[in-house]
Amino acid sequence: MRYALLVQGGPYSDQAAHSALRFAEAVVARGHRLETVFFYHDGVYNAARLAAPPQDEPHLVDRFRALHDDHGTQLKVCIAAGLRRGLLDEREAARHGKQGHSLEAPFELTGLGQLIDAGLSHDRLITFSP
Amino acid sequence: MQDDTTKASSQVLVILRHGPHGSSWLREGLDAALVAAAFGREVTLLFYGEGVTALVEGQGAGPLGQKGTQPTLEMLAMYDIETLLVDQQALDERGLAASDLLLPVTPLAPSQLAATLAEHELVLNF
Amino acid sequence: MILHTLNRSPTESRVYRQALAAMGPDDRLLLIEDGVQGALPSLVRHFGDVSGRVFALREDLEARGLAGRCDATVLVVDADGFVTLTEEADKTVSWF
Repeated sequence: MRYALLVQGGPYSDQAAHSALRFAEAVVARGHRLETVFFYHDGVYNAARLAAPPQDEPHLVDRFRALHDDHGTQLKVCIAAGLRRGLLDEREAARHGKQGHSLEAPFELTGLGQLIDAGLSHDRLITFSP
Repeated sequence: MQDDTTKASSQVLVILRHGPHGSSWLREGLDAALVAAAFGREVTLLFYGEGVTALVEGQGAGPLGQKGTQPTLEMLAMYDIETLLVDQQALDERGLAASDLLLPVTPLAPSQLAATLAEHELVLNF
Repeated sequence: MILHTLNRSPTESRVYRQALAAMGPDDRLLLIEDGVQGALPSLVRHFGDVSGRVFALREDLEARGLAGRCDATVLVVDADGFVTLTEEADKTVSWF
């Protein structure tokens, strides 16, 4: 089956991102395709490039990135929710006259339409919220 | 993307469970609904629990100029989002009647909730 | 059949009532995160109407020291079982 996840909880403040990652591993282990993880609401913070958690804690950004590297999962961040919260890729940073950027590939800023599309075109959409 | 054109019921149900201003859930839920409609999807809104307060008349902007959601609600018809279901029990609990609300709504009894969720292809809960 | 997930304890939030009110006769409820506290024998009565269709995520029970304290009527599943529940359901709705 083709799976999509919707992550709405920020990293570390809530369990949502941990739950989503654990579920993602189990989805893949059962032979499904995890095609999309969509980040919305405070979930967009899971894409923060500069996150530097202590070394003995799970590195959530790296773990999401690994889903892309190992399984081709697309990591889509709602652009409207991201920009409001300071998640900008190089292009958006330049457009808004900001020094530096806070989001980079494989995370990508996309419109909300991609969430609706994933929800209707994938076999399953599972949401993890704060 | 293929459309399930034979399906009579609406495709996307967006459940709104928060009022305006206290959090971004209402605005973000409405945004999802508008985008789905803009993409040609049939969208139903369900104002559930605290979400019914989103429809109360006389809302405004916040003291810092933070936007309310009333202008968005007034755009729903433009996006062909016409099915607005409202949790009748939540209205009753708050002493509100359909006539207190900004928009014409369809009251939904608790017994109709499960069927409403079941008949939509995609349910997004905010 | 819909799978509903719930991540709040019934003593902390009334959202479980919204979830229960929205459940159809065959729908299932999976308690995750803080929601697993609802699996305790003293709290499981809140889910009496859907008894036999209540699941709880083992890893969240274990992490909270509640694995051995779960009511016998609650069906405990691991992450693999969570995925299976989503496979068997037409869709999943999250309550938070």
